[in-house]
Amino acid sequence: MKAPLLAALAALACLLAGCGDQRPPGVNAGDPARGKVALAQYGCRACHMIPGVTGSEVYVGRPLEHMMRRRVIAGKLPNDQPNLVRWIRDPQAIDPGTAMPNLGVTERDAIDMSAYLLGH
Amino acid sequence: MPVTRTRLILTTALGTLLGAGAVAALAGFVVLRAGWYNVAATTQHFEFVYRLLEQAMHYSVRHHAQTVLVPALDNPARIMRGAALYHDNCAQCHGAPGVAPGPHGMSMQPMPGPLVDASRHWKPREVYWITRHGIKMSGMPGWEYHMSEEELWDTVAFIMELPKMSAADYRATTGPRQEAAR
Repeated sequence: MKAPLLAALAALACLLAGCGDQRPPGVNAGDPARGKVALAQYGCRACHMIPGVTGSEVYVGRPLEHMMRRRVIAGKLPNDQPNLVRWIRDPQAIDPGTAMPNLGVTERDAIDMSAYLLGH
Repeated sequence: MPVTRTRLILTTALGTLLGAGAVAALAGFVVLRAGWYNVAATTQHFEFVYRLLEQAMHYSVRHHAQTVLVPALDNPARIMRGAALYHDNCAQCHGAPGVAPGPHGMSMQPMPGPLVDASRHWKPREVYWITRHGIKMSGMPGWEYHMSEEELWDTVAFIMELPKMSAADYRATTGPRQEAAR
């Protein structure tokens, strides 16, 4: 009789602690919790509004909410995790006309950022 | 005995207020002195704290910049001088079209905002006031003692032009001139 209760408690504890192991569908790599901090530490939030990351109301870059629902990135790339990582690491190579600079994001940090963005 | 009763009510109310104030002050002191507040730049403000501080900053700048007299800013030579000043002193933290800030600018908390949309939020006299005086506890330095009056206005004139510039425009304004200067 106590098993369901224990399972529920474990699930609740997991929810409260923000267990990072369960990635949303389509996200095959990366640590979303680390990605969230990286999105602040590379200044992404300066131009983009990002769910869960504190900052000003800003529309210099497009808001990065509901990333999972987007079909394409930057108007041309199919939206999947590898392409999002490519875009984050070198947007100018994909769209030379973009005002988004190359921010020198490492591969690991870009993967973590993409894991966070695609889960929110 | 209405007088005694009123006095009792007033004494109780005053005592409660003072007691609550003392407890709140003590709690505040304990939190402060124990160092429980995390000052790390890698931690975020609560959204409402950030919004409140930012709004207060906006009101303060608007209020203090009211008496600033703005010179003519649409002079191309002034804007070109401003471009060089911006590239040398501002882009490291604020970036520019197609140009990333330096690592110190990227990782500050609060983040230095992009200035490509500054003219949507601020009047020229307010940009001048912020540039000249800086903003306390935000990392924004005051340039009053490091730029001349003319240089401050040159920088403002350029910032007002930023929304019209693409990455290529910015490179054309700052890149070749920089190379030529060296």
